[in-house]
Amino acid sequence: MLDAFSRAVVSADAKTAPIGSGELASLRNYVAEGNKRLDAVNAITSNASCIVSDAVTGMICENTGLIQAGGNCYPNRRMAACLRDGEIVLRYISYALLAGDASVLDDRCLNGLKETYVALGVPLQSTGRAVSIMKASSTAHINETNTTGTNPVESRFRKMETVKGDCSALVAEAGSYFDRVISALG
Amino acid sequence: MKSVVTTVVTAADAAGRFPSQNDLEAVQGNIQRAAARLEAAEKLAAGLDKVTKEAGDACFNKYPYLRQPGEAGENQVKVDKCYRDLAHYLRLINYCLVVGGTGPLDEWGIAGAREVYRTLRLPTAAYVEALTYTRDRACSPRDMSPEALKEFKAYLDYTINALS
Repeated sequence: MLDAFSRAVVSADAKTAPIGSGELASLRNYVAEGNKRLDAVNAITSNASCIVSDAVTGMICENTGLIQAGGNCYPNRRMAACLRDGEIVLRYISYALLAGDASVLDDRCLNGLKETYVALGVPLQSTGRAVSIMKASSTAHINETNTTGTNPVESRFRKMETVKGDCSALVAEAGSYFDRVISALG
Repeated sequence: MKSVVTTVVTAADAAGRFPSQNDLEAVQGNIQRAAARLEAAEKLAAGLDKVTKEAGDACFNKYPYLRQPGEAGENQVKVDKCYRDLAHYLRLINYCLVVGGTGPLDEWGIAGAREVYRTLRLPTAAYVEALTYTRDRACSPRDMSPEALKEFKAYLDYTINALS
């Protein structure tokens, strides 16, 4: 497993060159944006169960066959497995976001995931849809742009109350990890 | 590769939990010290060739017998290899400064070094002398800031202890 710093070390070692000013610039950026990154990880972990259940619910609303007899989220045992897997995927994404490198997600979560799902008969398209809903709500939590949605009297949404700033780079990075999961399943 | 972040993530993964507040605090502490580390890494990378030359010269000055026939520096090829090894250790220290842990030195420098040097009949005392010279020669603010110097010397001492 690598993080942003050890990734730089491994690629410099391949050239047997020391790490000089050029490579250090992006690492200095990681350091300078460090608190934003920790806030972003916190935004995901603190709302993890909400993000996961919302994504699985959304996936089922769009495809109610999943919870009818013969569907892949029927009975509760399989629904529970689905929620568990959603949480696992989100957890590895939060690790990758903390480390600033996708290797932990690749090695420990995505490697062989598609083959496992195919063997178990899990529908990949529905899984991908749930992950993309998790991406949308995580983005909203990191950016603090979550809203009432289509229901104007909805009060069950939450703001993290952190100081607002430009988190576009971090949101893009987090989004790339979600996309990585989706393309690994595709 | 061992670093603060990977250690934290490994522990969280073993327990199957999301990164906790403790984990985030640990990473935050690492980030706070990062400016000094990266400064040291940058300065060391910029002066790596000069530092290597000074360290190697110091070692051959202290142990001139190394250049005699049958010793580790009997011809120019072998002397060059000695300087190359020193550059190798300094490069690994540069990596350690970037990662913020001894992972690169442990994995690529120290693991197996004792066995290799014994097989090749190389004196580790010469390396110790060279790195000790570098440690004592480095000073602040000429070379780098005091915080950066402390980080740099910590890894030099770690290498020296491993070779002693």
